[in-house]
Amino acid sequence: MEAEAGKLIGAGLAMLGAIGAGLGIGILGSGAVQGIARNPDAAPIIQTNMILAVAFAEAIAIYCLVVSLLILFVG
Amino acid sequence: MEQKTNKRRVNRYWFILVLILSGVAASFFPPVRPWIQLAAEPLVKITDNFYITNTMVASWIAYVIVLLIAWSIRKQLKAGKTVLDGVGGFFAFILEALYGVTEGTAGKHVRKIFPWFAAIFMIVLVVNWMELIPGVDSIGQYRPDKLHYESSEAHGEEGDHAKDEGHVACDYREVGPFAFLVRGDADADCAHAIYPFVRVASTDLNFTLAIALISVVMTQVIGVQTLGKEYFVKFWNTGAFKKVLSKKGFGNPLDFIMGLIDIVVGILEIVAEISKIISFAFRLFGNIFAGAIILFVIGSLVPVFAQSPFYLLELFVGLIQAFVFGMLTMVFMSLATVSHAHGDEDHH
Repeated sequence: MEAEAGKLIGAGLAMLGAIGAGLGIGILGSGAVQGIARNPDAAPIIQTNMILAVAFAEAIAIYCLVVSLLILFVG
Repeated sequence: MEQKTNKRRVNRYWFILVLILSGVAASFFPPVRPWIQLAAEPLVKITDNFYITNTMVASWIAYVIVLLIAWSIRKQLKAGKTVLDGVGGFFAFILEALYGVTEGTAGKHVRKIFPWFAAIFMIVLVVNWMELIPGVDSIGQYRPDKLHYESSEAHGEEGDHAKDEGHVACDYREVGPFAFLVRGDADADCAHAIYPFVRVASTDLNFTLAIALISVVMTQVIGVQTLGKEYFVKFWNTGAFKKVLSKKGFGNPLDFIMGLIDIVVGILEIVAEISKIISFAFRLFGNIFAGAIILFVIGSLVPVFAQSPFYLLELFVGLIQAFVFGMLTMVFMSLATVSHAHGDEDHH
């Protein structure tokens, strides 16, 4: 197998880690929506905390993306 | 009932005309995928190892824009206005909302923490939104000979780079004083690299790493400013050991184990601080770089109108990433002002 083919396959496989991030963000959204449903007055603070936590979870998917881009474009 | 006339409505036929014109332009100048590389492209060489890259130019432009906004706000405040107009007023409103959020999290240390939140937010926001201006990332210098940095000469094979890398065949077409790089026939041998004059600064890992370092180091500084030397108890907690040694004859063996656990927790805290640097840098870099690649690739596949939903996505992503960077900085700074001393468990 040539290196070019290996690169392409590796770049595709590296993105499988985004499954975890998608699940995590979905669970976060579910918790946030339930919290707002119970207590609509607390919606701004719940939303702020949700966005914060989503950023953490999404960072993992971004790490996967960076690894994939590194495989494709560098070296 | 009289009919309401909307005076400012844009005639819908302009929209269709723009679509048709862009379709015609795209058929005459079919776009080729721009040269994508991870490292920022150098523009001007100063010494052998130091270049001015296009992301540096973008960050300078962003600094000037932020300073202009700040100058506009200050001018209006000096004139004594309480309700601000214009671009300055818009950003003053946003910053007031952020001040409210900071007050909710930080408590009494707002005045020290809010400038960092606001500065990082403004800079990263302007830098991220520069991606959306037409001309950024697309207008640049045509460099067919410098596909890699000068280190490629060490490989010894200059001429075959175009075919090896699988470049799309392209055509160099001149219209008056402007030159376009368009998609060509299959046997047109064109080693194309366009080094854009301005490239989004957040796609450069140097920029994001610099801001991440500033953020984490200033978090430690603010911790020391508010807590004094007690701040380092977070990393090196020997309170439990001191309790063991103060009682004659090792009073409670559990204290010894707690002491060991505290040391390990301290080391974990140091590792967490380092991982914050890496996580900050890569979160912003990954989001914006991926967005830029999406815009490039989709813009070259379907030149007409297909980029528009991704433009909207990039607008949101730029805003949210700037907000998240600033907000995480603010949260870590307010956590740093909370005392971590464990030696007073008996006092509660």
